[in-house]
Amino acid sequence: MSATVYYEPYKLPAGILALVVHGVFFALLYFGFSWNRQFTAPATMSVELWASLPDEVAAPPANPKVEEAAPPPPKKIVEPDIVMPEKKKPVPKVVEAVKAKAKPKPATRKPAEPDTRIADQQAASAQAERIKQDEQATAIGRVVDEYQAKIQAKIRRNVVMPPGVANDAHGIYLVTLLPGGSVLNAVLKKSSGNAAYDHAVERAILKSDPLPLPPDAALFNRFREFDLVFKPTE
Amino acid sequence: MEVTQDLSFVHLISNASVLVQLVMGLLLLVSMLSWWYIFLKMFAIRSEVKLTEEFEEAFWHNQNLNELYKYANSSSLRDQGALERIFAAGFVEFVKLKKQHGVEAAAVMEGTRRAMRATYQREMDRLESHLAFLASVGSVSPYVGLFGTVWGIMNAFRGLANVGQATLAHVAPGIAEALVATAMGLFAAIPAVVAYNRYAHDINRLSTRFDSFTEEFSNVLQRQP
Repeated sequence: MSATVYYEPYKLPAGILALVVHGVFFALLYFGFSWNRQFTAPATMSVELWASLPDEVAAPPANPKVEEAAPPPPKKIVEPDIVMPEKKKPVPKVVEAVKAKAKPKPATRKPAEPDTRIADQQAASAQAERIKQDEQATAIGRVVDEYQAKIQAKIRRNVVMPPGVANDAHGIYLVTLLPGGSVLNAVLKKSSGNAAYDHAVERAILKSDPLPLPPDAALFNRFREFDLVFKPTE
Repeated sequence: MEVTQDLSFVHLISNASVLVQLVMGLLLLVSMLSWWYIFLKMFAIRSEVKLTEEFEEAFWHNQNLNELYKYANSSSLRDQGALERIFAAGFVEFVKLKKQHGVEAAAVMEGTRRAMRATYQREMDRLESHLAFLASVGSVSPYVGLFGTVWGIMNAFRGLANVGQATLAHVAPGIAEALVATAMGLFAAIPAVVAYNRYAHDINRLSTRFDSFTEEFSNVLQRQP
């Protein structure tokens, strides 16, 4: 038989059917799924458990108007257990220095009338500045207090209290933080008198890593190294 | 349906990396080809079975070989089945050898069988064509699809590393587009494997049928005066 080339009658219908199958497949892909990608990202929130509610809803510290209306609440209610190594009022000192600078001027040049006016002006502007700086200082202080309370709360959650601790036992720890809140070091500065309690609190501090820090990076200096006073009860 | 859905599906493919797109294109081509062969073979085997049955029927009802030869040759090439060709080859060879005087009966039978054997081999080759392609598509294309997916997911995760706050929303589209490659690979592979097994079985049965026909026809020829 010489006929080695055979007639293939089904090439076209087979090709059409193959196309149809792929059409069905892609139609399933198109319509079988809902491809709309307008999914809503779930709002992430972190919840912190507070033993007691703060008096006032914490206002954003950047807004000075609200601050005037509401005096810093944490100072009144919760005495801060954390004692900052640096004093809280470096700003007024500067103001006083300005005042001191401004004062001698009228003393030396009393006879000249315009000088006193200038001095008055200066004094007024210095006072205004002082008020402004005071406001800023209180605002910063409030934020610092707020985060001190948060740090306390977080550590408190992690303390495994040993039995038989006196209510007024309090140790002082020198805590060193890294930017971001990681605990670099926690050293016992002054023992509470109960070694088990001291260790428990130290472990709790390390376990609370990372500690909550204010979002404002400028305030981190306040938390770089601070003394933490921890009492068994709030 | 909605245009937005359509768009996002197109986006999903057009946003994929070049390699993933290449893999998808290759798989689409392979899948097209394998489906074409699947249907081609399906029609071919079905018609082959039908023609074989018809010719067997004719063969057992009509013992006049000359008439049968006429029947086998009368049908156009399109309607000629493998069995008819085997029969025709054997019969032509038998008649030729018979006409030559001085050829032993055993030699005549031997030549006839050889002629039928050759046609049988050729027919089997024709029937089995493209089956190897289906087999390799069935075994390889899942891996090709997987390769595209792995590549796409690698990209998706690399993109995730650049994002500070990692959410599922950042990786999910990348993974979805990568998985399209796997879907296509499987879509090509599964029918190819099923078709390969099915057709291999069908062709095996046909081959047994041809074999037994060859034996029976040899017997018939041997009884010829």
